[in-house]
Amino acid sequence: PAGPGGVAVPRAGLKKLVLPPDYSGITFPEKPKLKFMEKVPAVPKVRREPRALRDLRGPSREATDFIQGQYGILALGGGYLHWGHFEMIRLTIGRHIDPKSMFAVWRVPAPYKPVTRKSLGHRMGGGTGPIDHYVTAVRSGRLVGGGGGRCEFGQVRPFLAQVAQKLPFPAVPVSRESLQEMRRQEEEKRLNNQNPWTFERIVTSNMLGMRKYLSPYDLRLQGRYWGKFFLKHRV
Amino acid sequence: AATAEMAALRGGPGWLRGWLPALQLLRRGSKAVTRHWKAMHFQRQKLLAVTEYLPPRPAVPPRCLPAPRDRPQEEDGYARLLRRQVEQVFRSSRMVAVCQYNSMPDEDLVTMRHYLRKHNIEVKFVLNEIIRPVLEQSKYRNLLPLFVCRNILLVSPETRAREMLRVLKGIPQVNLLGACIDDTILSRQGVENFARLPSLEASQGQTVGALALLPSQTSSLLQRGPSFLTALLDEHIRRLRDTGAPGEAPQEQGMG
Repeated sequence: PAGPGGVAVPRAGLKKLVLPPDYSGITFPEKPKLKFMEKVPAVPKVRREPRALRDLRGPSREATDFIQGQYGILALGGGYLHWGHFEMIRLTIGRHIDPKSMFAVWRVPAPYKPVTRKSLGHRMGGGTGPIDHYVTAVRSGRLVGGGGGRCEFGQVRPFLAQVAQKLPFPAVPVSRESLQEMRRQEEEKRLNNQNPWTFERIVTSNMLGMRKYLSPYDLRLQGRYWGKFFLKHRV
Repeated sequence: AATAEMAALRGGPGWLRGWLPALQLLRRGSKAVTRHWKAMHFQRQKLLAVTEYLPPRPAVPPRCLPAPRDRPQEEDGYARLLRRQVEQVFRSSRMVAVCQYNSMPDEDLVTMRHYLRKHNIEVKFVLNEIIRPVLEQSKYRNLLPLFVCRNILLVSPETRAREMLRVLKGIPQVNLLGACIDDTILSRQGVENFARLPSLEASQGQTVGALALLPSQTSSLLQRGPSFLTALLDEHIRRLRDTGAPGEAPQEQGMG
């Protein structure tokens, strides 16, 4: 409303009261804090495994959706999590959540994959080194850990972002709604792309003999993944 | 055999017997999945550049179009409740006075409320944005110009204007703007005049007295003729008694 001289006169109207959020359908697990993850599995592996970095490539098939909690950390690239990472996540989240009203759950298994290292100072050759430590493989699109409870996303986001920054792959904190929104936006982008030439089209019909320069995995990955990296800007 | 070997020599150093590109070409460079960003083949880079995302471009950029109007917000339950209360107030009370309210100390407000409560007048604070739509739809449309600034409503089921004016005279922060008494809109002057009127019971008594004046005279009017005649005859008897013989009196009595 304009006052004398055309200056807007501020006016206080009726206060629009917002209903508090409804936390009725939330079930808490027995232990609200994150479980301690072992460095070495209960049955240590005897056979040394090949490096097999292909477990980092491509989109994840498991733990892509929320089961128990409402908030989580989404991995946007592939990587290996070792015990140090697990401890960091456990302690940071444990420090910030209030066990009476919030809980946290793991969405990745304890380290199971053995990684070998040769001792320092030796020349190449002489076989594979002994097992040094164990890691968990995480593909992009997987939820690393999460939680929920009687809390809002804004409360939880700061420390989840802190944790996400320290992970060896790019990660973002997400909530159920924000993940849905992300997926919806990706789908929208895919649909309203004005470019008539898409990676999918060119590769499936092998235009210009492109498949000579591309891997057979690109048929499945459609140019959105390169090695362990997830190219977010690609449609 | 010679021709085959010459053909192989011409092709390049790799094309020897038993050489397969699927096996040998893998030996150069790093593996498919590396921890570092692997350099892409130039053809692949070109392909990715060609197949980039192009966002839709409408003919008229959205910032040249008028800003989209905000959709009307959901009906607020609290506002609905307040409106219902206002409607109920207008329905139940006979006198509704609108006053301008300037901020006054809390204790003064409580004192004013107390005094008005003694005369069965309630003080109600109303928000203009709630009461305006209510008045527009009801028959009190002409009260709309009064609800501009901070105001309060003094409502009462009885019309005690004199006491209300007396209380409000002592409070400089509350000024009477107008009132609606018995579905009649009165200005400040009108309210003062109304206050000076006699009370309902007195005026009712006056009206009844005025109306009953004529009927009360009916019996006396009817009896006027015979009473005159009686008075005349009595006067005549008296004169006769005073002057004439007593023998005529019983005859007058038999005739009268």
